[in-house]
Order: sequence, then C-alpha cells, then structure tokens
Amino acid sequence: MNKKRVMSLEEKLPSVPEAIYLFRSCTGTLQYPGVENAIRHICGLMGIEVIMDPDQTCCSGYLLTCSAYLPEFSLAVTARNHALAEKRNLDIYTFCNGCYAYNCEFAHLLEDQKTRDTANQLIGRFGYNYQGRAKVYHVQELYYRLKDRIAEKMVYPLKGLRVAAHYGCHYLLQEGVIDDFDLPTFHEEILQALGATPVYYTERRACCGYGVGKVFTHKEEVVLPHLLNKLSSIRDEGAQLITTVCPGCNVAMDREQPHLSQMGRGEFQIPVIDLGQLIALSLGASPVKLGFNANTIKLDGILEYLGIDKGAQV
Amino acid sequence: MKGKARKALVVGGGMAGLEAALKIGQAGHEVILVEKEANLGGTALLLSSTFPKWQDPLEKLNLKLEQLKKLPAVEVYTNTEISSCTPNGSGYSLTLRNNLTGEETGVEAQAAVLATGFDYFDARKYGEYGYGTYPGVMISIEFEEMLREWKKGLKREKAPGAVAFIKCVGSRDRIKGYPYCSKICCMYTARQAGMFKELFPQASCYIFYMDYRAAGKDYEEFVRSVMEEKEVRYVRGRPAKVLPYGGKLMVRSEDTLMGVPIEVEVDLVVLAAAAVPKKETLELAKSFAAATNQHGFLEPVDGFTAKAGTRVFFAGGCGFPTDSAGAQQQGAAAAAEVIALFNQD
Amino acid sequence: MAREKWKYLVKDFDKMVDTYGLAGNLRQCLACGKCVGDCPAASVSPSYNSRQIIQDVLDGNQKRLLASEEIWHCLWCASCYRACPSGIYFPMLMMQIRFRAVEAGFGLKYFQTYQKLALKAMTEGMTFVPREKGRAKVEKLRSEMGLSPWPEVSDKAKSEYNALFEMTGSKAWVDSVANKPEAPVDLNYSKGRINLE
Repeated sequence: MNKKRVMSLEEKLPSVPEAIYLFRSCTGTLQYPGVENAIRHICGLMGIEVIMDPDQTCCSGYLLTCSAYLPEFSLAVTARNHALAEKRNLDIYTFCNGCYAYNCEFAHLLEDQKTRDTANQLIGRFGYNYQGRAKVYHVQELYYRLKDRIAEKMVYPLKGLRVAAHYGCHYLLQEGVIDDFDLPTFHEEILQALGATPVYYTERRACCGYGVGKVFTHKEEVVLPHLLNKLSSIRDEGAQLITTVCPGCNVAMDREQPHLSQMGRGEFQIPVIDLGQLIALSLGASPVKLGFNANTIKLDGILEYLGIDKGAQV
Repeated sequence: MKGKARKALVVGGGMAGLEAALKIGQAGHEVILVEKEANLGGTALLLSSTFPKWQDPLEKLNLKLEQLKKLPAVEVYTNTEISSCTPNGSGYSLTLRNNLTGEETGVEAQAAVLATGFDYFDARKYGEYGYGTYPGVMISIEFEEMLREWKKGLKREKAPGAVAFIKCVGSRDRIKGYPYCSKICCMYTARQAGMFKELFPQASCYIFYMDYRAAGKDYEEFVRSVMEEKEVRYVRGRPAKVLPYGGKLMVRSEDTLMGVPIEVEVDLVVLAAAAVPKKETLELAKSFAAATNQHGFLEPVDGFTAKAGTRVFFAGGCGFPTDSAGAQQQGAAAAAEVIALFNQD
Repeated sequence: MAREKWKYLVKDFDKMVDTYGLAGNLRQCLACGKCVGDCPAASVSPSYNSRQIIQDVLDGNQKRLLASEEIWHCLWCASCYRACPSGIYFPMLMMQIRFRAVEAGFGLKYFQTYQKLALKAMTEGMTFVPREKGRAKVEKLRSEMGLSPWPEVSDKAKSEYNALFEMTGSKAWVDSVANKPEAPVDLNYSKGRINLE
C-alpha cells in the first residue's frame, strides 16, 4: 500500500457529518434514480440531513475528457458548484466516481492562485466566490465510516449472498482516498458486515470501459471486448450480484449484459446495483423505492433469496 | 605520535567489514570488529552461489575467517551493537552492548569504519504485485533461501513449474520508491534464475526487465550465458500487475520489444526489491558525525572515496549497494585510509 | 514495416501538445511499458500502445499521431497513471492530443458525437439526457419511486452553465472545430499503424 496516496478513514472523515450536500450525478439521477433514495434512507437512519441543490450543474468532467470542452470551462463550473456548497457551509458528497474525480482534480488545479482568480472572475459575474473551503467526499466513504452502525440496524441480513464488488477507476485514482488503488478491501469489509460473501475475482480492478465516450464511438471495438473479460471473470467466480459506486459503471455493466450474451461466451445474468442500494435494501428500504425497475438485469432472484417482497411499497 | 596504541572500530562483519578489519589488523593495528548477528559474514551467509564464477559463497568467507583467526589484535564481538558513541578529540568513546547477555563494554577507538550493509525495500508498497497479499509473491532474498535448500537436495518437490522474476521493484521509481538504480539486482537476478534453471531444467523461467546492467569483468558474458545456455527467457517490460488466477499468478506486462501486451501464468513471482539504507546506518551516521546523502547512504567527503567525516570511514552496502567483490574492494580502501590516518597521528 | 523518415518530425511537438502542463515531464518516461501491461484498451486494440504514443510525441511524429485511430481508444481508466514510475499523467496527455487532432481536422466523426452531447448538456444543465422515449421512461421510473418526475435543475443553473460555456471560449472553440473540413488522412494505414511514405 502506498501510504502517500492513501489516508486513514479517521483522517479523511474524522466525524460523521450532520448534513451533506449531495452532488447530483447526471447519470445517477437519470438512469438509476433509486440510488438517491438509497442514500436518503441510509442517511435518514443515521441522522444525516441530505440536501440537493437545484442550482448545481453537471460537473462537466466527462465531456472534458472527451475533448469536447476546454479545461477553462470545467474549472469555472467546478468553482461555481463548490461556491454553492460553501455558501451553505457544507461539504460535497458525490455518489459517482466520475463526479468525485472531476471535482477533486479541478479543486486541486484551482489551488493555483492564478487559476483560481480566473475562475472567480468568471463566476463573480453571477455573484459567486470560490474559496476552496468545501471538501469533496464520496458516499462510499460514509458507508465505510457507518459500517458498524449499519450492521446493527440490518433488517435483512444478506445470508451469505455472493457479491462481487466493483470499485471503478476514478475514486481510487485520486490522492487522499481511504484505500489502496490496487488492493482495496473496504467494499468487501462492508459486504461482510452485511452478512454477504465477498467475491474476489481476477479482473476486480479492471475498468468498466465506459470512459471518454468510448461507448458512443468505439463500443464494438473496445468497450464490449473489454467488458466481456470483466464480466466473464465475475461469472467464473460464481457471483450472484455486482455492486458499483458509480452510475456510469452501473450503466456499463448492467445495460450491456444482453449484448455480452451475444458474444459467444454464454449468457450473462448477474444483476448490478449501487452499493448504497444494497445497504439500503438490507436496512429495510422497499425495492420499489430503490427503483430496481430501472435495472436491465432484474433483481427478482436476489430479492427472493433474501426473502424480500419485491412489490413492497414502504 | 608513532608508536602509540592505535585502535580502529569496524561496525559490521560482512565482506566489507571483514576486509577492513583484516587489512587494518595485518598492518599491525588493533581492531574491534562489532557484528549485530550471531555469526560473521553478512549477506554472504544468505547466498546460494556467486556471480560471475558460480562459486560457493562460503569458500571465500571461510578463507577470510581463517585469516582473521591469525590476528589476535582483532577482537570480534558478535551479537553486539553500539549503544553509545561520543566523539572526543582524538577518536571515539563507545559502549558496546551484547544483545544476548545485556553485557556492556566501554572501548576507545581512534577511527571507525562503518560497514553495516543494506536492507531491502518494503515491496508491499507495490500493491500491483501483491507482495504480502498473494502467497507465491516473494522478494529476492527470500527466494535465495529456497535456492539454498533446493541446492542441498531439500524440498525439491515444492519446486514451482514456472517462475517470473520482476526487476526494479522500488528502484528507478520516482513515485513509490527510490529514483536510483540498485546496481546489483540485474546480476543477482540472472544468477538466481540461472541457478533455478540449473536445478530444474524443465521449469519455465522469465525475467521481466527494463534494462540489464552487467558492467563488470565477466558480467556481460555471465548474463548472456544465463539467457543462452540456461535458457532463461528475458522479456523487456516492467510488469503492470500480478493477479491471482485459478490458484496461480498471472503476470501482465508489455513485451516492449514486440510492442504487445502479454500475460504469463506462473507459480511464483520473485521481486528484485531495491537495496535501501538500513535505519541503523542513519542512526550510526548521526552518532559518528558521518555524512549521508538524501536517501540515507553514507556519503564521501570531497576528494575521498571512503571517508565520511573526521575519523569515520565507510565501506560496502551502507555507502551504496554493491556486490561482494565491490564490498571487498571498498573494505580495503577504507582500511588504507585508516592506516594512513594512523601513520600521520 | 516501412522506414520512418526524420523529415516528418516536428521539433518541440510535446510542448505543442501539453499546453496546459497537466501531463508531467514526458522526458522522464523510461519506456518501461508498465502503462501498457494492464491497459484495457491495449488488451483489446491491436495497435493501441500508450508507451509508443509517448515516444511519438517526444520524437515529434505530429502528422502520424494526430491522424491516427489509436488516439481515440484511451478510456481514461488511468491505470497507466497509477502504474507509471515517473508519474506521467497519460490520460491528460491523451485529452490534449485529441484537442490538437480535432483542431487539425482529424477524428471529427468522433468529435461530432461528443459535440452533440455537449450541446444537449447546455440546454439541460445535465449530461447524457435521453431523447423523448428515454425521457418518458425516466419520468415514469422516478415517479414510481416517489421522486420528482425529472431531476430538479433550476433555470439559473442552466443559464449560468450556458453562459460559462461561452465566456470561457469553450463554445467558440467547439464551433470552430465542428465547422472544420475533415482533413484527409493521406498516409498509408497499414494494419492500424500509419506508415509514412
């Protein structure tokens, strides 16, 4: 473990916040809106207020990496979004690896005085002033912090369910994260605390393939062959469920499975949900509220295994 | 001040320290040789063979120990460390502590030679290779122990069918390790792989490298013979990952000479962990007011090669990683400095 | 494989590429190949090779690199960045190589796809907004879960997002690129690796 890039949980999150500025993820709120409810459910039980801001815009990072935006735009957008959180004296919590990475990267670049002044000149026209006070977190860090309290409040322990965790690329890539880029274990620790059986697979640190618009321009050439290797590795270990902490990864691994099943290596039928959704499910949140209708690969088998009524409204 | 009793302290009883003690002793001076471990010999005790001549490392060591026995003016303290050191005008006042008995001895010396050797990089910092997480990933000095046992005919059934050596683990790495080259790994990796193939000709053996550095007498020929006659396969590429796969280990690298990414399935991965300064060396350097560089290796004073401060000299791996021939040469150089100093006193 | 000709090499090409200074010092590259070993794009793309792209940039192979297909394969997993013993931030280099490529009129078919997404994002304040059928699906899903049918993004957010897009010169840049004629790839494309005549 490279200690320089990794900080302890206590250092990163010394105390549980009373309120969080939940950063709206474009893909999250459009493709898997249930994740929002999952976060509200978990935070509700833990006494954390969840605030979402209609004035917050997309982080703009994805299209920047596609070379469709210039960095100056993303820097200004980041400064503006952070200024919004700062006004409320809140720290930013994302539920998308991408949002986390772009907010962190640009906040890092905005530490340079000249860069910051340029950004502030632009957003100053709308009355914002970026001071670099808001810290950026990802809710997966909060889940890890609350792991034991969550385990205490479990309504549906996961009965040894075989779960393969997918960490994704962009969170662990950053400086100041809570686990090692190559050998992280904190998702598996959370899964164990919930009574699931964490599944380690060869390609566990492989990317989902959806970055930089490849899904739009190079799906057959690059994304699907790569995803095939990833999902095959998961299937080989007999996982029943896959968890993600990024809606982008979730779209990649969930929505492409029917296509992967056509590629000559057999069928893929492993549901993919956000780690927060799994936690909320075990805490008793209703499957309807968690929005599993949004998933391409259905969760009926999982819900049956756990003894949860899929139609439960509350 | 000719004719006055001169005593030199040599800290470390490996090849460098032994050579220094012998030469100073043979020049007619008194020597206190202090060794932390139970036996003299240092790294030589851990080796299964030598390069470039494939000799028994204990042969040369035993020769040195025989010569040492003939010098009663050289006092040897094993299981002993320096517990205190105070420079005085004409040398050092020291306390030696025996770690087994707790006994402390006060001594005076007019010069010191630090020959404490080197340590190995903590390979757990390379999460991508899984050292400390995946069984079957070890560092070079740990593999050396297996080679010694196999050479004696022990545990041969445990021999792996395929081994991959990865060089530069912690060396030539500005980000997670040290920017320098550890100098000896290219040679000892060739030796380890060559010995492995000698013992198990049917096994597969790969060495993943960025370069192979064989700048020494007979060194290039040695490495070429490992490639050509012992049939060790050298692949140019620094591996990106070692991953567990079906009970074995998969090494993912690029074959940069071909320009293609490859993956190779092996049973064992041996990491040539960087040679790094020992923590004790840094502490000793402070006590003896010896200069060190930014990494903690002893540094010569301008114009000298073995002198690190007033009356303190160094030799061997504590100055920079070196092979056993180099350690011997540096030990002799440090001894010459001490003898010259004593002559002038 | 044809012989590479030095007359096509452009001096200081690396400085022309990394104008934002985000990629690190490319001359620290040891050409060790650690970036390629676990690269997902390299594992499925016959000719994509991050180490070779760095060499191309340092050599100054402007003409070949910008016209190539390979530069569009990187998906920013950044395993290369984390593996690199010299700390070269390779995805940041790729992003800027693509800037230069589209500015020279190459790869516009890919750029236009991203441009469409960018323009849509301007009207919505969000990215990846689906079209009518998808939109109806989102509204239905969200309502079922007790959420507002559409994520709440204020008009202020959308107008300020748009304004910043223009004020930073991003809009002008995107327009200028999109209106470029597609540059002809006048080099022999041999099995994915362009060779110069």
